[in-house]
This record gives sequence, C-alpha cells and structure tokens, in this order.
Amino acid sequence: MKQFEMLLPGSVDEAAKSLPTDDSFEGRRKVKVYAGGQDLLGEMKEHLEEPDAVVNLKGIEGLDRIVPLGDGGLEVGALVTLRALEREPWIQERFPMLAEAAAAVGSPQIRAAGTVGGNLCQRPRCWYYRNEHTVCLKKGGDECFSFEGMNKYNAVLGGGPSYIVHPSDLAPALISYDAEVTLAGPGGERTLSLDEFYMLPSEGDVTKETRLAPNEILTRIRIPGGRQAWRSTYMKVRERGAFDFALSAVALALRLEDGTVREARLTLGGVATKPWRCPRAEKLLVGKRIDDATCRAAGQEAMRGAEPLDHNEYKIPMTQGLLTKALRKLGNA
Amino acid sequence: MAEIKWGKREDHTLLNTDILRIDGPDKVSGRAKYSHDVRLPGMLYGRVLGCPFPSAKPKVDISGVDVEGAFVAMPIEDALRDGATTWLWQPIAAVAAETPELAEDALRQIRVEYEEQKWAVTPDQALGDDAPRIGRDGNVVRPSERGDLDETEVEMDECDAVVEAEYTIPIQHHACLETHGVVVDYSGGDEATVYASTQFTHGVSGDAARELGLERANVVTLVEHMGGGFGAKFGLDLPGMIACRLAKESKRPVHLMLDRRSEFLAAGNRSGGITKMTGGMMKDGTLRALVSDITRLGGVGMGANPGQPYIYSAGTSYTTAKSVLTNTDSSRAMRAPGHPQASFAIESIIDELAAELGLDQLEVRKKNLADEVYHRQLDRAAKEIGWHDHANKARPAAELPDVATGIGFGVATWGGGGRKVCQVDVKIENDGSVVASVGSQDLGTGTRTYLAAIVAEELGLTIDQVSARIGDSRFGNANASGGSTTTPSLAPSIKVAAHKAREAFFERVAPLLEAQPAELKAKDGKVFVAAEPDRSIPWASACAGLGEAGVEARGEWQQDLQARGIHGAQAAKVEVDTLTGELRVVKFVAVHDVGLPLNRLALRSQINGGVIEALSYALFEERIIEPWLGAPLNASFEEYKLAGSMDMPEFVSIIDDDDDREAVIGMAEATIIPGQSAIANAIFNACGVRLRDMPFTRDKILMGLASRG
Repeated sequence: MKQFEMLLPGSVDEAAKSLPTDDSFEGRRKVKVYAGGQDLLGEMKEHLEEPDAVVNLKGIEGLDRIVPLGDGGLEVGALVTLRALEREPWIQERFPMLAEAAAAVGSPQIRAAGTVGGNLCQRPRCWYYRNEHTVCLKKGGDECFSFEGMNKYNAVLGGGPSYIVHPSDLAPALISYDAEVTLAGPGGERTLSLDEFYMLPSEGDVTKETRLAPNEILTRIRIPGGRQAWRSTYMKVRERGAFDFALSAVALALRLEDGTVREARLTLGGVATKPWRCPRAEKLLVGKRIDDATCRAAGQEAMRGAEPLDHNEYKIPMTQGLLTKALRKLGNA
Repeated sequence: MAEIKWGKREDHTLLNTDILRIDGPDKVSGRAKYSHDVRLPGMLYGRVLGCPFPSAKPKVDISGVDVEGAFVAMPIEDALRDGATTWLWQPIAAVAAETPELAEDALRQIRVEYEEQKWAVTPDQALGDDAPRIGRDGNVVRPSERGDLDETEVEMDECDAVVEAEYTIPIQHHACLETHGVVVDYSGGDEATVYASTQFTHGVSGDAARELGLERANVVTLVEHMGGGFGAKFGLDLPGMIACRLAKESKRPVHLMLDRRSEFLAAGNRSGGITKMTGGMMKDGTLRALVSDITRLGGVGMGANPGQPYIYSAGTSYTTAKSVLTNTDSSRAMRAPGHPQASFAIESIIDELAAELGLDQLEVRKKNLADEVYHRQLDRAAKEIGWHDHANKARPAAELPDVATGIGFGVATWGGGGRKVCQVDVKIENDGSVVASVGSQDLGTGTRTYLAAIVAEELGLTIDQVSARIGDSRFGNANASGGSTTTPSLAPSIKVAAHKAREAFFERVAPLLEAQPAELKAKDGKVFVAAEPDRSIPWASACAGLGEAGVEARGEWQQDLQARGIHGAQAAKVEVDTLTGELRVVKFVAVHDVGLPLNRLALRSQINGGVIEALSYALFEERIIEPWLGAPLNASFEEYKLAGSMDMPEFVSIIDDDDDREAVIGMAEATIIPGQSAIANAIFNACGVRLRDMPFTRDKILMGLASRG
C-alpha cells in the first residue's frame, strides 16, 4: 500500500474537521476514516484507495459502547466490534437477529477487529470493483462490467447503472429493527433511518452506496424499543461455511399473536444494490398464519421486480427458499 | 550380507503404527523455518511485476524509480516472443529493495506502456477465426486418437441405454500456503546458498549455478521446511531465476517469494478440461461402448489427462484428445495430474447410464471393474457410508424432502513405484547418538519422520534417539518429490542404509558379547544374543567402544523393498437443501491400499488431505479469467474459495489392510482422484440434479432443481 499519515483525533468533532468537505475535487488531499480496518486495509493493499492520511477513530472515547435504553431499545457505538455484538448475552436474548447477523460476518479474526460502523460503511465486493486493473463505474469508469459480464454474485434488485450487491450482514438486520443512524459532521449531528442511509446507484453518485457526506462520521446506531413480543432471525446463504459474503440473506422480524402475524419487517441482503426492505411482503404477511401458501406468497412479493442478469437468476428461488425457512423458524418458535 | 527385507508388518514395533511427526511441534509452534522465514544480514526483498494483459508488448520505463537503494532487473527479454508477452501476468520486470514495502513502491514506480495484442483466454476464443497464434504450431496441439470409431458406433447401437454428455472441469490452483520463491545468499565470489521452497533440493543447485555463473558444486540448496508444492515446485523456477539476477546485480542476498496474486497467476495450475462423451450400457450394467473427445486446457501448457475409459473396462472405446492453448500461465503437475479430470467424466457417465437403467450405482461399478481389489474396497466403502440402509440406490424420488440425502462413489488408481536414485547415510556415534541424512525434502508428507522411524526400527531404538537430516544438497542424492515417488525411492535406501549400519555395528559389538555378529539382535535399546536375550549390552555401552569415527553406512535403493500399483474406493454422503441449494458433504469414506504402511497416522492424514483437496475442488475451486477483459477475477484467497474447517465432513479414512504386500508404495496421488466424482454422483442421488460442470455451487444446484420442476 501507499505510505500515508495516521491522524489520531481525540474527539468526533476533531475527526470530522480533519476530513475534506468535498472528495470530488482532483488533487485534493485524500483522507479516509479508519476503525477496524477490515475493509479499508484491503482496499489500500489492492490500491483501490490510496489515501494521503487516515483518521483513526480508535482513540475517541465512548464510541465502543453498547447501551441498553430505558424503552427497551438499544444504542450501539460505531466502534463496537462484531464480536462484542455477537457475544453479548443481552443482545442474543432480545435482539437475536442482530447477534446472528454479527456472527454471520467473515471469520472470527474479522469479527474480532471489524466494527459496526465499518460493516455498515463497507464498500462492495464485486470482483470487477476489487480488481485494480478494471476501472469500472464504481471507480469512476464509464461501464459496469458486471452487467454483461461474470455477474453470478451481482444484484437482481435495485440494479442500474451499477449492479453491485451491498455486502453488509448487519444492515438488513438493523433495518428490520427500524434502526436509526447518527452521523456527525463539523456542523453537528444528524439522524436518519438506516434504510434511508443507503441509496440506489440510480439515486445519486454511483461511486457511493450511502448518504454519508465526505466530512461526516457514522457514530452510533439506535434501535427503538417495544420489541419484547417480536421474534426475529437473520439467515444467510453463502458458498463457504465461513469467511464468505451472502449470496442471499433474510432479516425477518415478526410480531405474532396466536400464530397470526400482526406486524412484520423483512429486509434482504446479498441480492440488491442496497439492503432491500420489502414493504409489500411485510404488508402481505400481516393477518396471515405461517403456512406454505403464506411462504409462497411472501416470497413472490419479496422478489417482485427482480431482474436477473445472465448468471444470477438463482438468487430469486434461493431468497424465496430462505424466506420460507425463516418464516417457518419464527412461526414454529 | 543377509538378505534385506522389511519383514512381516505385524512384527514392527514402530513402523505400521501411528507415529507423531517429529517436526510437528516445530511446525505448530512456528519454530520451523521455511524459506519465506529466512532473514540474512544485508538482505533485499524482491518483487515481480506481472503484465496485466493476456498478451501485450510492454515498453518498460524505469527512470521514475527513485526508491533509495532499489535494484531493478528486467527478466523479460528472453521470455518475450516478438517483443510480446504470451500469458497473463507474465513477469516483465522485477525489483529488489530494503523492505518488501519499498520493493512494492519501487515496482509501482516502473512505468509501462502496454501495446495490447490479440489474445484468447477461453477455448472458444482460441479456436475462433481471428484467434492469435499462441503456440508455435497453432492453438490445437498434441492431438491423439485411439480406438476404432466405426466399431464403437456399431456397438453403441446395440446398447440398451445411451447417454451423451459434456463434462467440464475448471482450472484448479495448487494454493500452497508458502508461495513459490527462494532466498539467494550470494554477494559475489565463488559460492552461494539458495534457500528454496522446492520439491527438488538437488535440482535447484544446478539451475542456480547456471544463473549465477558458478560451479554446481559451490551452490548449496537448503530446504529445511517447505510449505506445500503439490507438483508446482520443481527447479529454480521464474522467481528463483529472477532472484539470482537481482542478487548478482546488487551483490546482496535477495529474498523473493511471490506475492499471492502472482502465485495465483504465474505459478502454474491443474489444467481444466472438457470431455464430450457418449456412453452405451446394457441392461445388466455392462459398459459396452464409449466415445470420448477430450480437450485439455492448460493455458500455454499442454494440460494432462490419462484418457478414457480410465480405470473402467468398456467393450469398445474410441477416444480423441487435444490441448487447446490460451494466453494464461502453463499448467503444471498437480497431485495426480489429469486423473481427477478423467475420473469426473467416466464416473459421471457410468452413473448417468446406471440411473437411466435404474441400476444400483455400486453394483454397476463392480460390473465394469476387472480388478477384484476394487470390489473389496467398494464394498468396504459402501458399508462404512451406509449404502445398504440407504433407500435410494438408483434415482431419487420425484417428490423431494427439504433436505435430501445422497450417496455417490468413485475409484482411484496410481503407480506409486520408485527408482534407484536415493543415497542415505546412517552414522552411529560413540555416544550412542544416531543420525540419518539424505538430501530429500519433506513436502509436509512426513519424510523426515519415516527417515528416523525406519532407522530406529532397524536399530531397536526409539524414534527420538535418531536425528533425521534432510533438505540439504550436500547430503546424499535424492529424487524430486513428484508422482508419489519419494517414499518408494527413498524408504528402501533408508532401510538398506540402516541395515548396513546395523551389520557394521554388530561386527564391532559381537566380541563384547563373545558372539558372532549374525547371532545378535538390537531391540528396546539393547544389543543381545538372539538365542539368549540375557546376554545383552545397553545401546550406549555398545557404542562407547566405536571410537571417534563411529560406524557409518550408505544405503542405495533395493527394488524388492518397494512395489507399484495401488487402488482406492471413495464414497461421499451429501445433504442438499432443496429450498436454498445449499450443499453439505456430511460424511466421506476413503479406502486405499498402500503396500506396507510406514506411518499409519501420516497415511490417514494423506487420505484426509486428498479428500479435502478434492472436496474443495468439487464445491468451490475454479480460476476465473474474465473472457471479455482478459482480467483475473479471483486471484486471491477471498475470491478463489478454498474449503475451510466449517465445510469439512466426518472423515472415515481407511488403510486397506487386506493388501499384504511387504513393500513400500507411494500413495498420495490416488487419494485426490475420485472425490469430486463421488460428490457429483451423491448430489444426483440426493436430488436428481446432474451437475456436469464443476464446481458444484449453490446456483447450479438450485437452477438444476428449478428445471427439474
């Protein structure tokens, strides 16, 4: 990797001020935010990012806390490691979908170093993007090679003009918990729903996946309370048993009364250009009992609008199959 | 001299038991020193620049390199053809600098203007009308034909079932944990030492001497430990050659181990291939006719494939074969070169024909295997995997459960004989210590351990009383470790050396016991008169009178201590999640005959290792070069997926003790051959999806299930 300067700010404010206000200007000093480094280091080693400086957040106090809230909700600092989330008994019990999603990430080594903020802000794994020598749309080129290329791992939903899949395991789970994200910039903080935090490639700068401004830092996540009666699960299909990204993932939360769905949240991972919330499938589930017909209908709704490329049509039945398994699991729990 | 025999296997106290490898603690604790770990005073680190196009004319400009103390070498000119590279990532320049990071920086300061040439990375491209000429004789090379097509077609018409299919197997990487490379210790002068990650200690010295302009006798090669070869590490190789040039230029030792990307792209591979087949079977399961057309895909190399009907008998068989060249690095030997490719095609078509006729998969195999050893081994594998209690022995039911279970089989073969090449020295010192040495190398298979064990067994000592020294070109000659020939070539020489050392030792000890040398025996750390065990002397006391010179003997190979010809039968049990296409290999049985087992633990580990490598190939491994851009898409351990511990089945690895040959045979290759075939057949048996294109990933299973309806 290219040599760089390491900045060690003592506060979020100081960190935000060290970031440029606009990263589109050629020739400007490039600065990247560094937390667990699990994605950034890879990008730097592959020369996809060659920052002049990295802002190391690890010296900032208070960003690595898991705080139970009075309303039964939860606040998670951006520097909380995936391992901490995965292992916290309190989270396993009340927010199982979150613990399962954290446990589904990478390998034990990656989870020990990787952080919540890093997982939510990570860049795509598309192999055209990850190859230094292919200058694709995501890297400022003018073509998304995956559209007509080797697109087995690419998106069937939300594609165009880029067809990456968003790689995060945490994001679908957090979105299904209606999580909010707090972003801190030089002018103060702002909060938006995690669902809104992500954007489609058609919605803005195609080289980005989120609405994070160049001089903003993701500092924490808040899950609202009132979920005592909910059941939830995160299920992921990958090729290898570990150290692999999702081919498809389902983050499903249900509030059931006597076997009937009263409320539902469904977000998909691994199949779309952003974590894919499925409001129509959620609506369909309400008032239904979990049986084969419900599973089939929910699967149909979840994948409505899917447009497979040459090599990724399998993601449709795979996601529907996975959703069926998730529904049965929660329905039988 | 008495006749030298291994003796009955049940009489051994050390051989034919589970022996812990003597270098195991060093390896697991990190004390073991690999070539990659060598650090020398004043050493520079080398890095290689690969051409990112499958073929291009590079114009290299090194004027921008301003890393202090960096040395630049351009190894390209002699490897270019008409000024152009011929394969993707072909090295075009190299640098050496004070640290690996500085070397990397210097490499990126080299400016290269590439004039892209016409290239082909797929067989279709290579066979197209406007394809570049890749080989000197064109892109289709080494064509061959065997059998009589007309006769085979006549027989085919008589068959009760005929299946026509195309089986595709991708390029697999060796994926050695230690990448290719060397550390060359040369700072000018007449002598050099090369620390090499190699399968051929003695071969490196000659290559390096030529490159350095030295005499072979003055170049020492050291291979204390090496991190895997699988057939890809013979000779000095490109990185070694470049390291020698950089050392010569800089007059400093140079450490050049390939980075992982270069290892994936420029260090060889198992050739992929396509086999188009038409097979005809009779209702009784007899394979009556087989037509095969084999395409080997080994980049600029020839690839490998032993042909069809491989291990099976076919009434008539007609086979054509050819290599199609592409602009990617050359295939190299890889554990049983060509055999997994051949196995996948024939084991699949036999299974397809059996399913077509509703025949038992196990019985149809036995029907077409002449050698009774296979029948015995298949029966054992079937018993262990639970075939007899398995409901479905031919075709799965139309209605599938959420998780469908299937079983599949495959068989293996290998030669595994040795040759006369190894010279082993055994020395008994006057303090009782014993050292055995030979310039062989341990690829991780346990060479060092059986060197000590054979000598210890012969001298009646424990294994820790014998020091085993290998991996040094100053020691006795040894062969390259390839084709499972190391053990059958080396073990007989060890046995002979130990035997001769013992006889020479008994000559010296006999007077102390007032006996004839031939009356003596060594066991349990004592030398005694065989007929009167009480007339004994402890080992150390017996050695005390040997004087400074001790006793020394050299052993050479003896043919009847080794043999050739082994078999193997394997069975896989899989579970297919019919909702998501997820595949799990839950159990894997492998039965192999091995001649005399030297170290039963190491043998079972070899079987496990072969099964793991085949399972990983079956489920995940595949080199992907983008056909339109010519770009490598998975030249890293993230994207080139290897099976991990979470993907492992229950292993049942069995040494076939019905093989009573008292001779050593190399067996490593056989273990990797039929794994992917057994898994493919198990997938079909589970869910009715016939996968003819490896690897068997979730997408293919799921789309197969969807088209099955």
